[in-house]
Amino acid sequence: MAGTVKLEKLGVPGVFMVCNTFADDAKSAAADNGMPTVRRREISSAEFYKLRGDVKTVRPLVEGIFDALTSALITPLTPGEASPEQEKKGGDDVPAEITVKAESYRVALEEFNQMYLDNRWGDGLPLIPPTPDAVKWMLSGTSRNPYEVLGMINPKHGIATIEKIAINAVMAGAKPEYLPVIIAAMEALADETFDDLHVLASAASFNLLVVVSGPIAEEIGMESGIGFMGHGWRANNTIGRSIRLSTLNIGHTWPGINDMGLTGRISPHTFITFSENTELSPWQPYHASRGFRADDSCVTVAPIFTDSPMAHFYGGLIMTWTAPGVLDRMVEDIVRSDRRGLFMWGTKGVGKYPGSGGGAMNHMIILFPELAAEFKKMGYDQKKLQDEIYQRTSIPYDELNHAERKAIQTAMELGVIPADRKPVFQAALNPGAKVPVLISPENLHLFVAGGVPGCAFSFNYYRVPPYNQTALMTRLITGATLTKAGATGGKNVPYGA
Amino acid sequence: MSAKTASAKSGKFELEVRNPRGKIEAVPASSPSPRIAGIDGKTIGLYSNSKPGMDNFYTVFEELLKKKYPSVKVKTMRGAFLIRDDDAKALAKEVDAFVYGVGD
Repeated sequence: MAGTVKLEKLGVPGVFMVCNTFADDAKSAAADNGMPTVRRREISSAEFYKLRGDVKTVRPLVEGIFDALTSALITPLTPGEASPEQEKKGGDDVPAEITVKAESYRVALEEFNQMYLDNRWGDGLPLIPPTPDAVKWMLSGTSRNPYEVLGMINPKHGIATIEKIAINAVMAGAKPEYLPVIIAAMEALADETFDDLHVLASAASFNLLVVVSGPIAEEIGMESGIGFMGHGWRANNTIGRSIRLSTLNIGHTWPGINDMGLTGRISPHTFITFSENTELSPWQPYHASRGFRADDSCVTVAPIFTDSPMAHFYGGLIMTWTAPGVLDRMVEDIVRSDRRGLFMWGTKGVGKYPGSGGGAMNHMIILFPELAAEFKKMGYDQKKLQDEIYQRTSIPYDELNHAERKAIQTAMELGVIPADRKPVFQAALNPGAKVPVLISPENLHLFVAGGVPGCAFSFNYYRVPPYNQTALMTRLITGATLTKAGATGGKNVPYGA
Repeated sequence: MSAKTASAKSGKFELEVRNPRGKIEAVPASSPSPRIAGIDGKTIGLYSNSKPGMDNFYTVFEELLKKKYPSVKVKTMRGAFLIRDDDAKALAKEVDAFVYGVGD
């Protein structure tokens, strides 16, 4: 829809053809992009997706919508279309405080939950009422100004403030000492370079990985041992749920309206939220590999594909394992998956930035502590292991077919391969050399989590996302008042002042 | 969707709760461009965001368009999900009106 509006604003009349499943999404996006009356014509999803694969089968469908599309180009705009009503500021019709009256606390609680769900302010699980007192209590976990604006959340560009994040954190059942972690994660999502739109709205049901690293994880009781991605851990689960509710309420998303994830997401109420196992990890925390101090506390957020199976490298108690064997499986998996995408390196990508939505990948690899310890014995720290995997996943130039070689050459010309990596690939495109399937060793993100025994596995996602520049971001946790870690930065402004 | 914030019943117990929604700065509304008077003799752009199936759709659409409006010209373009600025400017220069099909 945004593309149709862009062309209309260049003075060309047009029509947006949309499958009816996405009609609400298109209507919402038209208003979001400032042209609520842009012409849209709907086609049946049930028919289009079945029939589009062939010119012959799609013909009756085209014949059926032909007149509607052409008349949309020539029929003069109605007065209502020519002078669209200005949309009200979203949220302004709702008072800052709402009073629910009932005969008992039980009934009031039920009415509150139903009201919030009916308004699409809930996630389908029971909510904790965000009373002024509870929100004030939540804000006691941060020294940051409640009215500080962190940025905007897609798809409706809702304004993320510390206060709104705290309200949603109360609803999620979080504790005040978790709030600085939640704020840092939301800072990443609201960053103007981060692609939160694709992960929150795409039909492909992508998911969000949230990893906390550094000493704050232990201080607030995050679980990083056996079952670390599962249920039963208040810190992990409610930090994730706070992020879910904040994105839902600040970005104004709703399934089937503007969150078009067809299957929904695995772990939809909490995303996938855990911490590194600092106690058992033989290495520095992950964020040290991203330029932060080892004793900092950070949160990393990254969209991931979880509508497709994640890769398992095993370990633990199911099979016998050795560290070199697990490493071999990682290398084999990355070569297999990433070589399939090499041909896409030679395209501009699906978005504004070269290589967007394809071309090359990020791999978020979770290693269990025993495995990391074995790797350390083998002489690897994270950097050395990144380099080892990068080298071993490179493919002999002589084995690449013509299309793959051409795609890499084109990728250098289009900027899919960034300027600082071009010398590597120029040298690689020669007989006898080896060609990387990853742009850089830094596209391997190595986290240590899990208990004893554990298992190793990975998530992946585009190195450059479809709608913005950044697909993975690590943020420093600041402003914590209830923990020793994460206390740097921020300014104490009393809530309600 | 208008929010429902009125409690259905009165009662002796009151629960005050905060609004969790992020404020949205409304984007100034503008109107679509004036339509063309007719299609014959014009150039119609057919933009696809490269999702599978739109090529087949547009193949038939172009055929029908040329059958009904013999002097029409067609300019097809495949590109990004959200048409890039340079592609948009190029297409806008070449066409009199357009269809934007996304395949989903």
